[in-house]
Amino acid sequence: MPPFWIMIVILGAAVLGYALGRGRAVRAVSGNTRLLHSRPNYYGWNVALLTAVPSLALLLAGVLAQPVIGGEDRAPSNGGVFAGVVLVVALAGMALALTRTTPAFRARNVVERVIRGMLILCSLIAIATTVGIVLSLVFESLNFFRLYPWQDFFFGTEWTPSFGGGSELGILPLLWGTLYISVIALLVAVPVGLFAAIYMSEYASKRVRSIVKPAIEVLAGIPTIVYGLFALVTVGPLIRDWLAQPMGLGNSASSVMTAGLVMGMMLIPFVSSLSDDIINAVPQSLRDGSLALGSTPSETIRQVVLPAALPGIVGAVLLAASRAIGETMIVVMGAGAMARISPNPFEAMTTITVKIVGQLTGDNDFASPETLVAFALGLTLFVITLGLNVFALYIVRKYREQYE
Amino acid sequence: MNNMYLAERTVHTQAQPIKFRCSDVQVWYGEKHALKDVSVDLQDKTVTAFIGPSGCGKSTFLRCLNRMNDTIPVARVTGQMLLDGDDIYDRRVDPVQLRARVGMVFQKPNPFPKSIYDNVAYGPKIHGLARNKAELDGVVEQALRGAALWDEVKDRLHESGTGLSGGQQQRLCIARAVATAPEVLLMDEPCSALDPIATAQVEELIDELREQFSVVIVTHSMQQAARVSQKTAFFHLGHLVEYGSTDDIFTRPQDPRTESYISGRIG
Amino acid sequence: MTDATSNLPRPVPGAGPQPKSLLTVDARTRRRNAAEKRFRAYGILAIAAAMLALAFLLFTILRDGSSAFFQTYARIPMTIEASVVDPKGNRDPAEMAKTLTTSYNRILQDSLADFIKTNGIAVEGLDDDDLAGFFSGQARADMRWAVLADPSLVGQVIDVPVLTSSRVDGMFKGRVTRESAALDGKTSVAQFDLAMALADSGHLKTRFNWDFITGTDSSDTRPESAGLGVAIIGSAYMMLIVLVLALPIGVATSIYLEEFAPKNRLTDIIEVNISNLAAVPSIVFGILGLAAFINVVGLPRSAPVVGGLVLTLMTLPTIIIATRAALRAVPPSIRDAALGVGASRMQTVFHHVLPLAMPGILTGTIIGLAQALGETAPLMLIGMVAFVTTYPSAPPQGLFDPASALPVQVFNWTQRADPAFFERASGAIIVLLAFMLAMNLLAIFLRRRFERRW
Repeated sequence: MPPFWIMIVILGAAVLGYALGRGRAVRAVSGNTRLLHSRPNYYGWNVALLTAVPSLALLLAGVLAQPVIGGEDRAPSNGGVFAGVVLVVALAGMALALTRTTPAFRARNVVERVIRGMLILCSLIAIATTVGIVLSLVFESLNFFRLYPWQDFFFGTEWTPSFGGGSELGILPLLWGTLYISVIALLVAVPVGLFAAIYMSEYASKRVRSIVKPAIEVLAGIPTIVYGLFALVTVGPLIRDWLAQPMGLGNSASSVMTAGLVMGMMLIPFVSSLSDDIINAVPQSLRDGSLALGSTPSETIRQVVLPAALPGIVGAVLLAASRAIGETMIVVMGAGAMARISPNPFEAMTTITVKIVGQLTGDNDFASPETLVAFALGLTLFVITLGLNVFALYIVRKYREQYE
Repeated sequence: MNNMYLAERTVHTQAQPIKFRCSDVQVWYGEKHALKDVSVDLQDKTVTAFIGPSGCGKSTFLRCLNRMNDTIPVARVTGQMLLDGDDIYDRRVDPVQLRARVGMVFQKPNPFPKSIYDNVAYGPKIHGLARNKAELDGVVEQALRGAALWDEVKDRLHESGTGLSGGQQQRLCIARAVATAPEVLLMDEPCSALDPIATAQVEELIDELREQFSVVIVTHSMQQAARVSQKTAFFHLGHLVEYGSTDDIFTRPQDPRTESYISGRIG
Repeated sequence: MTDATSNLPRPVPGAGPQPKSLLTVDARTRRRNAAEKRFRAYGILAIAAAMLALAFLLFTILRDGSSAFFQTYARIPMTIEASVVDPKGNRDPAEMAKTLTTSYNRILQDSLADFIKTNGIAVEGLDDDDLAGFFSGQARADMRWAVLADPSLVGQVIDVPVLTSSRVDGMFKGRVTRESAALDGKTSVAQFDLAMALADSGHLKTRFNWDFITGTDSSDTRPESAGLGVAIIGSAYMMLIVLVLALPIGVATSIYLEEFAPKNRLTDIIEVNISNLAAVPSIVFGILGLAAFINVVGLPRSAPVVGGLVLTLMTLPTIIIATRAALRAVPPSIRDAALGVGASRMQTVFHHVLPLAMPGILTGTIIGLAQALGETAPLMLIGMVAFVTTYPSAPPQGLFDPASALPVQVFNWTQRADPAFFERASGAIIVLLAFMLAMNLLAIFLRRRFERRW
């Protein structure tokens, strides 16, 4: 029996259990439900939960463990036995709960305890996710470093993977491309986003704000694949034809400049909405104090508001930087695939994320360093962005506390 | 005790030239008519107190005097307010220039998150009141001495202004306002966030400031008005009910509403 | 007071505004006001730049992509020659199935040649290749299926719209001009002239292209028949999984953290975890999906179930953050009131707080779903770039069938050599953005309709 149908059967049994449990409780007090400790529904829920929860947990465990136990051929031979065991557990749960259904039984407390347990379980998924990420990255990275010396990975300046062997897998050219593109993106996004936020929070009339703010949010909601296509089809050729070729700096449509500009565009709403929040957190009394001294609004902003908001803005920029470093589609489609260290922003270069995609799409051989290197790249990326985030969130929180 | 204060004060009171001439001032916040037909003449080198229950319009009127209401988009002001004969709501008037001459101190101390020195030097710097560092140092020292804060902070001028105590912060804000050499100093309940000792210090300071400025103070405390002011204006529901010498207002109120407020029946 | 009042500052002579008329603006103030105007202009410039970039982006997408929704079809009589499709002449579908798709090209080519001859269309330098390449490779396959499904068609003359090749289609979309046709190995000036002649006589028409939205992907040589059907189904399956998993888990987590969690180490760890997960690059989630769901658990590659799980984990922080904000917005007085009449905390939450927070939760969920819909990078790592031409079956089994996803399909098409695929990619973006727009409008509607101000 496929697991899906077992699940349906269990849920059916739970519904039945609900009806039985509720009926039994009501009958036990001959319809005078005030004599029950809890409302009749809770007795029903008690039976339903005890029917479904243990058996479904067992089912899930079985499904997850199947490839480990049964191997490739999904083990149909013991599938029937397994289904039987699960159903027996469900019925046993129902029977146990029904025997416990007496008027004095504190059904509500039990049900609420179970629900609370489930709530806790759900919130642990966040931790499980992080643990899963760390484990999958670390585990395969260790495999990689067993095959390839870590010094060569972290300090190598050549990236020439070849599945035939003899690959050079140095991260430095990828790191260079990543940082170069991120810097250009921030050079675009920070001034534009910051000035937009300043204008929106300090100058704009309500009407302008009601138009521009949603428009900037639209910009934030556009998927990165759209920006990627924009870089590939429009911005790349424009930069090549109007900037790179006239200046003799290259003739590639994919370039650090293309990816950086488009990524900057993507980050504008991110920077501006974060800065907007932060500028708004600066107390109005400081602005009043400055204006009352006869300073102009811009003097107030530059000399009082921005210095007061500086830590928060630095945090926002760091968060934007972490986004830029982890962004994938724009660089895959806009930056190119050539791993090199060059100061010329009109040349195609590549980034950590591009190479993760490159090494992991298509057929993978999880025994070769050329595939496994993607996990080491992923680990590096994860550590960098996590570090930036933790630091940035720390700064922003400290900043918020200052004005609360 | 109040009467003792009053008796002492009357000695200093003398007729002074008019600094602000206001007539028929109306203020709307959107649909709300916040201030109705206020006409009042404020004397130079005098402390004028605005008293009245919450929401009576006294702070609104104060904020009109240096056009701080301009920062509220829905606020609308009509009528005439002449500072030394110039209408401050004239189209040609730049509020920036006006505020350099009419300083303001707020209810809650609001030092900038900068050093004590930079707080005080901020006004002189933006208005170009000092030609060099030495002059600026002089202005800062004078202002801090004027605000009776110099002795307490002279050794830590470059520490943050937000690290001072509440009373010190408020005196720092007064020093900051004084440093731009204004002619009129507006104070919006300057002691409401301070403890009694700090309040006493600030009140003493206000009395000294009178030597040089026209001071207008909004206060909730009638005792404070009696202690520091020579002239008092009583506001009620957006109207200026009564205006006269502090002595008269507190001892011989003309309007029954003033009388009720003074004696604690309304407010 | 130890300080003497005589120390009060006086204006330094010669510097700054002397007390003079307020009605004249002094030079310094004028300079400062000019600086003020400049500063303001920078702000306007920044906003204009952002708006312009947005407008330009949308403009190029619409310009490049809108033509994907239209396709050129030929409408000429097609003679199903029995000698070609049924050489044995017994109309047995099993026998006829042995006739390969390529043979059907004869029918198309001969019918076109006949049509040209009977209608007296004169085109210079028209050769067999031009006729053979006039129709899409898909057209012969379609015709073969039609004939196999209905053997009575053999020997008949049928009059159905026949898909033309992408080059011919491009001639009516400005992609192929007479000049470019001369340089292109896959078309020719003669083919261009023929197309124009057929269009003039009304036998070549461009009409709305449903196949683009419902059809399957096609091979590199047939951009004219590539469709989004599989990708849309794949994306829909994944959204379904995200909705079914992320909404309850996210709401449960938020309820626990907001209403029940004691302030302790574990709660702190969970909170920090969630805010960090929100900022983990999406590609890292792809690595997790590959390593955990495919390599360890053994789920199939390219399957919506894996994509859905990965996107669920990615969307959870968004939903949790929105839900917690919504729960926090419910005033404590509601909780006090419920607790005051003897409800348990669990009853308070589920009977009062949660229903009141629902609009905020739904809005957050929809925005999270919209984000997940546009996510590309993690799906590429779990094999969703694969070339899939069969529709996945209905759930639950369909969740394990290989499928594509809208954004990945876009990427896939940009990697093809034929420039006609760029039109498809931009068209697919329009479809994607339309879905996202619809979701966002729904979110805005919900917020407007049910928003409560306390």
